[in-house]
Amino acid sequence: MREDLLDPRAVLLHERAPDREAAIRRCGRALVEVGAVAEPYVAAMLERERSISTYVGEGVAIPHGTNASKDDILRDALCFIRFPDGVDWDGERVTVCVGIAAREGGHVPLLAALAEILMDPDRARTLREATEVAQVMKELTL
Amino acid sequence: MAGIDSQDIHKIIVACDAGMGSSVMLASQLRKQLKDSGVTVEHTPVNSIPDDADVVVCHTGLAARARAAAPGKVLVSFQIFLGDPAVTKLVNTIKNGGVVDA
Repeated sequence: MREDLLDPRAVLLHERAPDREAAIRRCGRALVEVGAVAEPYVAAMLERERSISTYVGEGVAIPHGTNASKDDILRDALCFIRFPDGVDWDGERVTVCVGIAAREGGHVPLLAALAEILMDPDRARTLREATEVAQVMKELTL
Repeated sequence: MAGIDSQDIHKIIVACDAGMGSSVMLASQLRKQLKDSGVTVEHTPVNSIPDDADVVVCHTGLAARARAAAPGKVLVSFQIFLGDPAVTKLVNTIKNGGVVDA
């Protein structure tokens, strides 16, 4: 896996967001800050979320942009943002967002790992409750 | 299209809007579950479904767009990204034989 796919600076474990839109903006900002996307990508993430929720189960959502917004992606990257107090996600409670920016397939192994984790409630809980960046990196990049 | 016999399924496409999020996760799960079946699983944006897809899997909210983009393909739609009964049924039909309804 590429080293810069999940930048430790984009793993934030103690964030708060009053609502889903704020949580997605936080993800977008993290991706902007590590130089993965241009600013307009954040609006595309909000637009994508309005069409179909990116909630994937076990308290995890995977916000990302639209097909049309791929030109705003500078490199494939993910962020991992934990909201310990939870965020109402269209009726579901989300405590972890894995924000995605991907034009190529560099992120596929990591999302496959995430899918595996979410199919196992114990591992999913461990990931949701992670308080150390190293722990998250280890779970997702094994 | 009435449906497709499991023996005629060679390629499954998991489609989502951008082809970078949920479809990637679901395709990875399907690939693992169908590892020994010889069926290929790929993920694409909903407007780039390839002609040689035998079955298209997508979220209920994208089903109309998938039907328009790939007319005549057998479509399995799901509501839950991981562990949806419709997807489980597809996997079981491929493994045990039978017909996947359009």
